Amino acid sequence: MEAIKTKIEVTEKERLPVVGEREAVFEARDLAVYYGHQRAIDGVNLDIYQRLITAIIGPSGCGKSTFLRTLNRMNDLVPTASLTGQLRYRGIDLYGPGVDAVEVRRRVGMVFQKPNPFHSSIYDNVAYGLRILGMKRDLGERVEKALRAAALWDEVKDRLKDSALGLSGGQQQRLCIARAIAVEPEVVLFDEPASALDPISTSAIEDLMHELKRDYTLVIVTHNMQQAARVADMTAFFGLEVNADGSRHGVLVEYDETEKIFTNPSDKRTEGYVTGRFG
Amino acid sequence: MRELYTSELEELEALLRDEGQLADRAIRGALNVLERDDLELADELIAFDDEIDSRYLAIEQRIPSLLARQTPVAGELRLVLAILYINLHLERIADYCVTVAKLAKLAHGLPRDRAVLEALEEMGERCREMLGTGLEYFYARDFTDSQALIEMDRPIDRANRKLIDRLIALGPDESQREWAMRMMLASRCLERIGDHAVDIGEQAAYLVRGRFEEFTDASHKPPRATT
Amino acid sequence: MSEPAFTLKATGRLRRRQLVNQGMGALAVGAALLAVSVLAIVVISVGSRGAGSLNLAFFTQNQAQGFNPKGGGVLFAIVGSLVLVGIATLIALPLGVLVAIYVSELAPSRLARIARMALDITNGIPTIVIGIFVFTILVAAHGQSALAGSIALAIIMLPLIARATEEVLLLVPSSQREASLALGVSRWRTTVQVVVPSALGGILTGTTLAIARVAGETAPLLFLTYLGTSSTADANPLHPLQSLTLVIFSYSDQADPAYQSKAWAAAFVLMCFVLFTSLAAKLALARYRKKLGG
Repeated sequence: MEAIKTKIEVTEKERLPVVGEREAVFEARDLAVYYGHQRAIDGVNLDIYQRLITAIIGPSGCGKSTFLRTLNRMNDLVPTASLTGQLRYRGIDLYGPGVDAVEVRRRVGMVFQKPNPFHSSIYDNVAYGLRILGMKRDLGERVEKALRAAALWDEVKDRLKDSALGLSGGQQQRLCIARAIAVEPEVVLFDEPASALDPISTSAIEDLMHELKRDYTLVIVTHNMQQAARVADMTAFFGLEVNADGSRHGVLVEYDETEKIFTNPSDKRTEGYVTGRFG
Repeated sequence: MRELYTSELEELEALLRDEGQLADRAIRGALNVLERDDLELADELIAFDDEIDSRYLAIEQRIPSLLARQTPVAGELRLVLAILYINLHLERIADYCVTVAKLAKLAHGLPRDRAVLEALEEMGERCREMLGTGLEYFYARDFTDSQALIEMDRPIDRANRKLIDRLIALGPDESQREWAMRMMLASRCLERIGDHAVDIGEQAAYLVRGRFEEFTDASHKPPRATT
Repeated sequence: MSEPAFTLKATGRLRRRQLVNQGMGALAVGAALLAVSVLAIVVISVGSRGAGSLNLAFFTQNQAQGFNPKGGGVLFAIVGSLVLVGIATLIALPLGVLVAIYVSELAPSRLARIARMALDITNGIPTIVIGIFVFTILVAAHGQSALAGSIALAIIMLPLIARATEEVLLLVPSSQREASLALGVSRWRTTVQVVVPSALGGILTGTTLAIARVAGETAPLLFLTYLGTSSTADANPLHPLQSLTLVIFSYSDQADPAYQSKAWAAAFVLMCFVLFTSLAAKLALARYRKKLGG
């Protein structure tokens, strides 16, 4: 019988806080967005950290998509949209003078709710951005790299010239992801990325997001809070506040590590929402 | 599919496996301490409990997070719950080993009885067997019958009775009586370890069958052997 | 099984309503038949009078000169019409597409509304007025030419092409535009590389319809290009070329029945061209709409 002399190494990882030493890619300070005189969201203060998945959850009408679209200035397309407060991207005021929205969108890509590939071949879809933005060197390799990163290469490598519209819903969405990351953005925004897909495709997209996290910062908006729970490192809960005249606007209620939001949220409203009691 | 979730489940089970092995070594270590009456070994065993505690805590912390974030259902839900309970049983087993070591320290230097020590050894080894079997059923997700585990409980009962008879027959010497008291408590610890090992088997059965059943209950007679 | 306590058969008020329904249905069918029969009457009467005079010479030779008008054909007129319509298309197509792009994609809404209104008004100007307008600007100083005729035709085509293009541009789903913009592509390039190619089918059919429309225009050409037939073989747009529509006009004015039957024949040819082109364009547009929508 041997004496117990050897100490066994603890196999579990150190439980570092999720954020650790990461930089903030976006910093929002007292951000508010208006459509004309209608206030959509207000009082948003949060930082989005590098190479993490940040989820935005909340009831419908709470301004999740509105906030997401401020990050890549897609709100500019709505003529009545205006914004107060500050939104910084790597220290630069995103809405400051001299900032070109087109340049912003090169660095901050977006994938939409319903897959929207162009009416051309699979190859041309991915190459579209590359060609226009002058990243034409080694075009074929870049296209392959993007399709691999989107976990789509093996399924389409033999039919790159086929129409993109012949792919299934889940494949089309992955194609849109490939198209977005082909131009090498730093951030990829997902607006309800799997709400139009079946559960298996949804699972595939979620696995893909975990892969993408290694190279990109991801921000996703989802009305499916279980998806946020499964996928995100940080979660922001937007709630609804009632105005004096009865209308409502969205506010940031709580923003924390996902684990905390779903096991022990600080705000009662958050608890009410994630338990499905209200909102 | 759901790779992160799958790897989290695998990690949990790996931690549990570790803990199971450590618990088994703790039992063996406690028996060694009794056998050799070695104070240094006893202290090492007591310190060794930290290893088990750290895994216990790790599992305890991960499970609520896993339940909240991944919402396991069906077999995976039962798996997580089984891990939760087995974790607890293993920790208790380890604690009882520490108690045995402490009792041995207190009984150091007192006159010992060979037969009692043999009975304790017998009980301890049967416990290890039961623990190993229960955990095997769990890992293999295979639980064909509970009889084997119940059968294994009998030798422990027999050894325990033999031990008590022996202790009662020990001499009038105060130091002998002190030693007998300590060994009585040690045997109680080993009996409890055996109970926890059976409980682990029950969790394995729950995982496989989807129903929870008690094999043995303190308030009922054990079922008769069928063979 | 007991008898139900009520019946679903029509009675009383319900019965009268049914009769009214049927009556209105019959009226609608009658009106539709009437409309179709008008077209049939036109086609049959022109065809019966004109088809007989068609022969190979009709298409391949110019009008015989001299006192015997029986021989020859309207070759130069056909050539002239082709030149007129061709150049008009070359002018109106790019302009119409650009206007449509501006109005639907790029203009602020107030300016877009004004531009649209201007196009609608232009669409309504009597073609003879357009002809006089071009005459005043161009022909009075420089003399008649097919180019002047083309310009007048282009003015007529512009609103048609612009309207059709705008319609199909709006059919392109905004998700396509958003996808391109989100990649960091400018609005203009998005329009050119994503929206317009998607709308191409519709643009072409709109253009074809416009061609079918102006192929039959007579009034604007009256002062702008050659009225009647001449013996000179010509395809130079800077010269006054013949036009099939003007030939019909001038021939039908002649006393000699040989000319008149030629006029009928030319009318038949023109009508066939317009009918065929319109039908093909409309079918293509319907299929295109289905493709985009589905």
